[in-house]
Amino acid sequence: MDFNLELFGPLFLHTLGYWWVIIPSILLGLVIGAIPGFSAANTIIMLLPLTLAMDVEIGLIFMVALYCSSRMGAGVPAILVNIPGTAGAAATPLDGYPMTRSGRGQQALAMSFVASTAGGLLTTVLALLAMPWLAEVSFYMHSVEMIVVMLFGISLIATIAAKDTLKGLIAGFFGLMIGSIGADHVYATPRGTLGFLELYDGIPLIPALVGLFAVSEAFLMIEGESILSQHGKDLIRRSGWAATIEGAKIAVKRWWHIIWNSIIGLVIGVIPGAGAGIASFVAYQQSRTYSKTPELYGTGHPEGLIAPEAANNGVTSGTLIPLLILGIPGGATAAVMLVVMQYQGVVLGPSLFADNPELGYGVFMAMAVTYLIMMFTILPLARYMSRVTLLSTVYMAPIVIAFTLVGSFVPREYMFDMYLGLAFGIIGYVARKTGYHVAAILIGVILGPLLEQYFLRALKMSD
Amino acid sequence: MSKPLDKKAVGGDLLIPAAAVGFTIYYFWTIWDSPWTAQVNAFLVGTILIILVAIFITRTVLAVRRGSASLRIGNLLAPRELLLTRLGLLITTLGYVIVIQWAGFTLTTCLFLLSAMLILNRGRNLGIVALLSAGLALFGYLLFIVSFDTRFPRGPFEQFMQSLFGNGF
Repeated sequence: MDFNLELFGPLFLHTLGYWWVIIPSILLGLVIGAIPGFSAANTIIMLLPLTLAMDVEIGLIFMVALYCSSRMGAGVPAILVNIPGTAGAAATPLDGYPMTRSGRGQQALAMSFVASTAGGLLTTVLALLAMPWLAEVSFYMHSVEMIVVMLFGISLIATIAAKDTLKGLIAGFFGLMIGSIGADHVYATPRGTLGFLELYDGIPLIPALVGLFAVSEAFLMIEGESILSQHGKDLIRRSGWAATIEGAKIAVKRWWHIIWNSIIGLVIGVIPGAGAGIASFVAYQQSRTYSKTPELYGTGHPEGLIAPEAANNGVTSGTLIPLLILGIPGGATAAVMLVVMQYQGVVLGPSLFADNPELGYGVFMAMAVTYLIMMFTILPLARYMSRVTLLSTVYMAPIVIAFTLVGSFVPREYMFDMYLGLAFGIIGYVARKTGYHVAAILIGVILGPLLEQYFLRALKMSD
Repeated sequence: MSKPLDKKAVGGDLLIPAAAVGFTIYYFWTIWDSPWTAQVNAFLVGTILIILVAIFITRTVLAVRRGSASLRIGNLLAPRELLLTRLGLLITTLGYVIVIQWAGFTLTTCLFLLSAMLILNRGRNLGIVALLSAGLALFGYLLFIVSFDTRFPRGPFEQFMQSLFGNGF
């Protein structure tokens, strides 16, 4: 694959001209990212008739902008109300929510926005420059290597349960068992499904996420009038633009952390099947491991927030590399994009960059422009978004339950998933009240099926 | 001698391990006659889980025997004065999930928000609560059903709107 560097400048300006598509897509992405169940992939599927009717270039810009901003949007409720919008933001509340509870929600949002946009922008540029070599990563990552990556993510279970490692391990392994529910990968034997046909495909992630985080959090938050302490409320009421600037400064000072974690996200994103969920946990874990102050993680430490946010935005460009170069989607959203591009007659693969470089490089250019626009348009919103936390729990808890439980219906459109969300809510509530970390259970649910899949493959290959 | 109230209540801490072991045993039962590919991962993970729970139970029993812990449920139901409110919210939530498939998204969401907010608000601010519930349900309808065309359960409200404005609604 040859580079066409002269193309980049004019293409950047050309893409910038589509600001009228990018800005509404960013706003839509922020909203759908913040609601569990409404991932970018789901929304693109829902808006497929609209996307297919668009010119292929505009359609791609729309999808890319939506994808990038939804990734960032998922971190907003994770920071403000301890409810990750997607699995990719599941590691964000570990340090983001404690910051909010102490009245530093605005600062945390600013940090998250800077880490997300800078991480996303950097990895997009890296993806543009190193595309052919990065594509090769997916060839070298076999089942055994993937097991090592996942074990690194799973080891986070012991880290986040530092107060009581035994409880943390029980929660994590319980999550791994729950994640093993469903038909086995070779003979499709149903396992642990409790007789429900709806569980043959395994445990759907969104109801687990909604229940463990949102529903249980709603039942816990009613124990106080507000999720903030009086001091926290005073801080939020008094805060002007200073908290946003301070948050941005804190993130910029940790530039090395942003670079390092976004590259982790990029590399994990390139591997088909791996995604933001794995990347954010791996990034959080390595960030804590190499930190000089690991004891501060989980208490509202900026690096604990920056690491997963930079990583999950690094994934976005990574997932598109195998799609464009090899025609293999790196994730769910990339798979939907593949459908749209094929419908429009775009031939994916190395020839795309020779035959239609404007489109091939244009996807990454759209991503770069989106992150640039987001950096300047979203950061000022931190001040207003953080005010949500001033809402009384009397109103907030029912809103959280209603809008997240219906979110668990969206991905598969099964009523069963709403009941499942409620069941996970009860498990999450009991777990939290008795000192078990729900994030440890979720890590197991996310990584369990993937670990089994790669483990089986590795065993078969060693036969 | 320490008073019984000073003892750490650990009864509630056993609920998750009990659920975990119960589920693991059930899981083993479902794969007992399955091919090895269906068993290997679960036996590996499940065995470790059972060992961890056994260690946890041993630790708890030793603490109880030492007199530093009791098997009371403790923190799980605290604060006790919110017990009825919490139960009310749980029943309302269960009702929401059951009723939504017949009454549709908008109507059920409005009713759920209204009743849940009234329970939490102890019947106060009826006007604000009613307005907020109706407004949010309508917002959800416009966003999810009209704009995104999701297949959220449709009921009398959605059918009425469709008859008024056509298929777009």
